[in-house]
Amino acid sequence: MTDLNESCGQLCRELKAAWAIAKKDIRIYYLKPNIIVSGMLFPLFMFLAFAIGRDAPPTMLVPGLIAITILFSASSIEPVSIPIERRTKTFDRLLSAPVSLHSVVLGESMSGFLYSTGIALVPLSAGIILFSTPIVQPLALIGGVLLTSFCFATMGTLFAAYPTESPGDIMSMLNLVRLPLIFVSGVFIPVNALPQIGQIAVLFSPLTYGNDLIRAGFEGTTHFNPLMDVLAICVFILLFQVAANHLYRKFNE
Amino acid sequence: MTVHAIEATAISKKFGNLLALSDVNFSVANGETFGFLGPNGAGKTTTIRILTGITVPTAGTATIFGHDIVRETIAARRQMGIVHETSNVYDDLSAWHNILFASELYNVPRSAGERRGKELLELFGLWERKDDRVKVFSKGMKRRLTLAMGLVNDPRLLFLDEPTSGLDVQSNLIIRDVIRELTGQGVTVFLTTHNIEEANLICDRVAIINRGQIAAIDSPERLKKTIQSVQSVEVAFDPSSPKLLEHLRELPLVSEVRKEGDKFRLITEDPSGVIENVTTYAREHHTRIISMTTIGPSLEDVFIRLTGLMIRVKGVKAID
Repeated sequence: MTDLNESCGQLCRELKAAWAIAKKDIRIYYLKPNIIVSGMLFPLFMFLAFAIGRDAPPTMLVPGLIAITILFSASSIEPVSIPIERRTKTFDRLLSAPVSLHSVVLGESMSGFLYSTGIALVPLSAGIILFSTPIVQPLALIGGVLLTSFCFATMGTLFAAYPTESPGDIMSMLNLVRLPLIFVSGVFIPVNALPQIGQIAVLFSPLTYGNDLIRAGFEGTTHFNPLMDVLAICVFILLFQVAANHLYRKFNE
Repeated sequence: MTVHAIEATAISKKFGNLLALSDVNFSVANGETFGFLGPNGAGKTTTIRILTGITVPTAGTATIFGHDIVRETIAARRQMGIVHETSNVYDDLSAWHNILFASELYNVPRSAGERRGKELLELFGLWERKDDRVKVFSKGMKRRLTLAMGLVNDPRLLFLDEPTSGLDVQSNLIIRDVIRELTGQGVTVFLTTHNIEEANLICDRVAIINRGQIAAIDSPERLKKTIQSVQSVEVAFDPSSPKLLEHLRELPLVSEVRKEGDKFRLITEDPSGVIENVTTYAREHHTRIISMTTIGPSLEDVFIRLTGLMIRVKGVKAID
């Protein structure tokens, strides 16, 4: 019983510390110019580049815009904040605090998650207000937005493990992954319309499953089973978390 | 069995092929103020990073109040406060938000964190500026805030990495006073510093580390006694001239002469003999002695002897 109490107490302390880290990031980084450009403007211009001139209905375009907004905004906080904190040595403060590395990774990911969830409301509201896009499965939409946000926030934290003090180094590496993901996730080109190799590649992209759930919110149908979407995103989150923990530990040695 | 605040046993650390620490052993008693001295690159920061659980040793173990820093990292860290070498405060947050963040990170309850935060900001003379963003603070103010953040959890053990390096007099005095107060309250302090006089004044014991190995550990006074041969005579002349340095070097019994401000320091094993020779020299060269004092070896002399460094006019040269 004492062990159980101690474990619960430690879990509570860990979660509080993770939340403190997320709050700190919210206060400091949300309005940094490079985060606004990378997290808000970049996906908007990407979307416009694809959408303008295409005769596609809003129910086709709005889910795609939400998905890429989440991809870019969720993964933009940590690749900026962590290298800056390495440079100012404030990251050592987190690494030497009486909390596990899991909580540090979780706290960092939470700030990206909250940022992205908030930003996703912009295209969502635009879709509803400007294009009268109907939401037919709200649960799938909410689940898709939340899970995808957390997944890509964790991916951002994972990339930020690379031991550099320059955000540009991480952003370059991250874009090597983020940009191809847009083309192999059914965001703009439906999965069915992709060539055979593309249809295999989509299985390895977390954006595929997030996009599938978000699209289900508007269209009511999914390419994969919704439970498989949820499970696949959860597996990616777990993989990113474990890999991030491993890399932060390794690079600190 | 006595539980030491810190017990480092056979710690080694390799970075690739570089051996940064080699078989480092020492213990720090509960309530002790322990100085860790060494030239740049000697292994001071690596030692602190290992003792605070940021870095894992390649070999050996370290315990903090009996908790192994690798296996029981969190339990060990709960006992400690850490003031890093760089003032690692968040420039975009106010002093108040910085200190509240530190208290949340150390799981200090909200009300206790606010109370302690207020006490510490007042103690360090920052309360009036608590709502200002730290980016407008001076270097000394940031350093004081860093120290305040390190104390927010009332640690039993405080790691101070170069706490007063390059600070203004006011900040220096405040920080030294606080360290004295903490040691008076029984807090164990582990201090790394380049300021040997600071270590001499504050520390119960000091360790001198050089090239990753401990060269000596003892109280400052005992260390000084180990090099009694490094005694000296400090003398000031009127008028003083640059040629004096050359002439004094030629005096019998003098092994080395250093110019220190308007004075000369003559290193010798026989201070009384040197006093006679200097008096004779002054009389013969019609120069007046303003002051002359015999000085025992300083902690700096011990440091120089043990680390093999000798300060010369044109730089630093190894003598071993």
